[in-house]
Amino acid sequence: MAFVLGIDVGSSYSKAIVLEEGEIRSYAVIPSGGDYREAGRVAARAALEELNLTFGDIARTVAAGYGGNMIDFADDTSTDISCHAAGVHYLFPSVKTVMDVGAQYSRAIRLDDEGRIANFIMNEKCAGGSGKFLQVAARILGIKVSEIGELSLTAQKAVEFTTGCAVFAESEAVSRISEGASPADILAGIHNAMASKIVTLVIRVGLTPDCAVTGGGAMDIGLVKAIGRELGTSVFVPEEPRITAALGAALMARETLKTS
Amino acid sequence: MAEEKKGRAVATSTAAKIPKFVRGNLSATLKAKEEGKKVAAAFIADGQDEIMRAMDIVPAWGESFSGVCAAKRDAEKYLQKAESDNFSRSLCTYATCNIGFDMMREELGGATPEGAPWGGMGRPDMMLGNGQLLCDPRFKWPQATQHYQQDVPVFVTNMYYPPWDPNADHHEQEAIYVKYATEELRETVKFCEKITGKKMDWDRLAATVELSDKTWDLFIDTYELRKHIPTPMDTGDAMNTMVPLTFNLGTQEAYDFYVDLNAELRQKIADGVGVANPERYRIIWAAGLPSWFALGDFQYFNGKGVVFPVEVTYRGCEKIERLDLPKTNDPLEHIAWRWVRYWTHWYDAAKKRPGSTPKVERIIEYIEDYKCDGAVFHSAFSCRSWHAGIMQQAATLKKVYKDIPILIMEGDIVDISSYNEADTHNRIDAFIETLAAYKKRQG
Ligand code: SF4
Repeated sequence: MAFVLGIDVGSSYSKAIVLEEGEIRSYAVIPSGGDYREAGRVAARAALEELNLTFGDIARTVAAGYGGNMIDFADDTSTDISCHAAGVHYLFPSVKTVMDVGAQYSRAIRLDDEGRIANFIMNEKCAGGSGKFLQVAARILGIKVSEIGELSLTAQKAVEFTTGCAVFAESEAVSRISEGASPADILAGIHNAMASKIVTLVIRVGLTPDCAVTGGGAMDIGLVKAIGRELGTSVFVPEEPRITAALGAALMARETLKTS
Repeated sequence: MAEEKKGRAVATSTAAKIPKFVRGNLSATLKAKEEGKKVAAAFIADGQDEIMRAMDIVPAWGESFSGVCAAKRDAEKYLQKAESDNFSRSLCTYATCNIGFDMMREELGGATPEGAPWGGMGRPDMMLGNGQLLCDPRFKWPQATQHYQQDVPVFVTNMYYPPWDPNADHHEQEAIYVKYATEELRETVKFCEKITGKKMDWDRLAATVELSDKTWDLFIDTYELRKHIPTPMDTGDAMNTMVPLTFNLGTQEAYDFYVDLNAELRQKIADGVGVANPERYRIIWAAGLPSWFALGDFQYFNGKGVVFPVEVTYRGCEKIERLDLPKTNDPLEHIAWRWVRYWTHWYDAAKKRPGSTPKVERIIEYIEDYKCDGAVFHSAFSCRSWHAGIMQQAATLKKVYKDIPILIMEGDIVDISSYNEADTHNRIDAFIETLAAYKKRQG
């Protein structure tokens, strides 16, 4: 009976997962703030406390993500891209294409049959396909990001944005509000614009069904549906889409333990 | 305040001589006046090198100076200066960095601005622009600079070559393009004669062209030594060792440099010394100018056992024999044929593979010859000319060749604000993991 720990320190959130015999036993998601080292430790501690465990009970730890290299108590590090691949493969073995929509970036990852990366493309220079776009939308409409998904589903006629650029879309959204467009129609339009950016990445990486969406963006049901429409297929979404990289890291820790 | 980055350790000691070359080229522009020589603002790979060398005209390479500013992480002040006069940062940053520097120098009445990297560059007596078929900044940059240096005459050529069209017979078209390019070069000579007040010594030009041909051959022979496993030199070095070919073509120093490099690589091979030990993966640098401020990233690759035995960038020559150049006694016509065939000799191969293009064909040949496992492309946002088609090249490569791992890096040549080291290293790590998975699949 060995516990392993996977940590993913992202630019916005840090996540930690404890696995035992390949089963998820606990996890935690906390805001990263400015101190990645501390954020990783706090997330790990929160996941351990749920099981009344301490760091001493953990056989192996793998850290990933933006601040993964700063986790000094980790035995090993990996990229969050590989970890996403491993995590999604564990949850949905048939998935070959992953769209990870984070706060600052979006990326598409193609997996091989073993759940390893076959190809990946990142887009972190343009906010158009990332969670940033949703934050901008929430701010203009005076709602919470978490309310966007459900509200967008009530749209009657999605607003068509003439731009896929988050910066220009902001002023376009403001003009549409003044023209009387409903918040739901605006959000549905934003989802469509984002979906088309994300699917462009998927095409570049080589669309291979089945597909899954992960990251904070996958918590937005409206965006997930828009991506599905754009792809012309349904997509898998993990129950907690923010923890797939931490899960992958934990699986890697387990793998090394098995082979060492 | 310029941020100095730790210098890149070079794998070959011959490459360590490059800063002397670059400094020498810059200081030659500053000393030219005393020596009674004329200075020409010049652009690389456009067939004008030998004309300048044969007429003792000192080239002032704007691209080189901007690269130095970038490598010293000291370009921002010049970019901002150009921006203050409405030159957008998304224009070629070689151009805007150089224009900013020229603006400052003009404000000082022609004196070199204080703190200019490696002493700066001298004021030109003429500007020889060249679009090189595809680069619009190289048309507009000299013209834009002329706003600040109104007394400096500009002469802009193009050096067209037949555009790629799988259904056209480029062999039929070549002669027309060569005729046009030869006339452009002839006009360049006339322009230079007018500015310098000297006549071209045609025998000297012919000898200079012959020396260039020899340098082209030696360059390729030397670079082909990198096929060896482990490779004795990688792209991190090649971004330095390209200097003599690119900026000093037609000089004995350039030829001698490759004699030394050739000897050193042979010795490394004999001693079994490679860039990375063990060498885990071999990658082609398939396209794109590098981020001059981040050359240390090559070492990051090397540190993980990844080497670049070959690159497309700055391999601006070919074995002369392979180009099968028609005989001519006119050195300008020879330069024109060499230029046109340098591009078109890939066309036949591309025609044989449906859906391929000459650029992709070239990448495939190098992948095969240098036994590469994957490809890295660098898309520098401010150089549209060379980088606009990179995504398509990568996609075509996968389609017509094989689904090899490809990393597309995004950044710039000069503008450091486009760069994030942590993200870049994260991408590189993920790419290496992709390579590992690919090799496993291949068995
Ligand atoms: S080829 Fe690119 S880098 Fe060179 S001058 Fe033209 S735009 Fe600038």
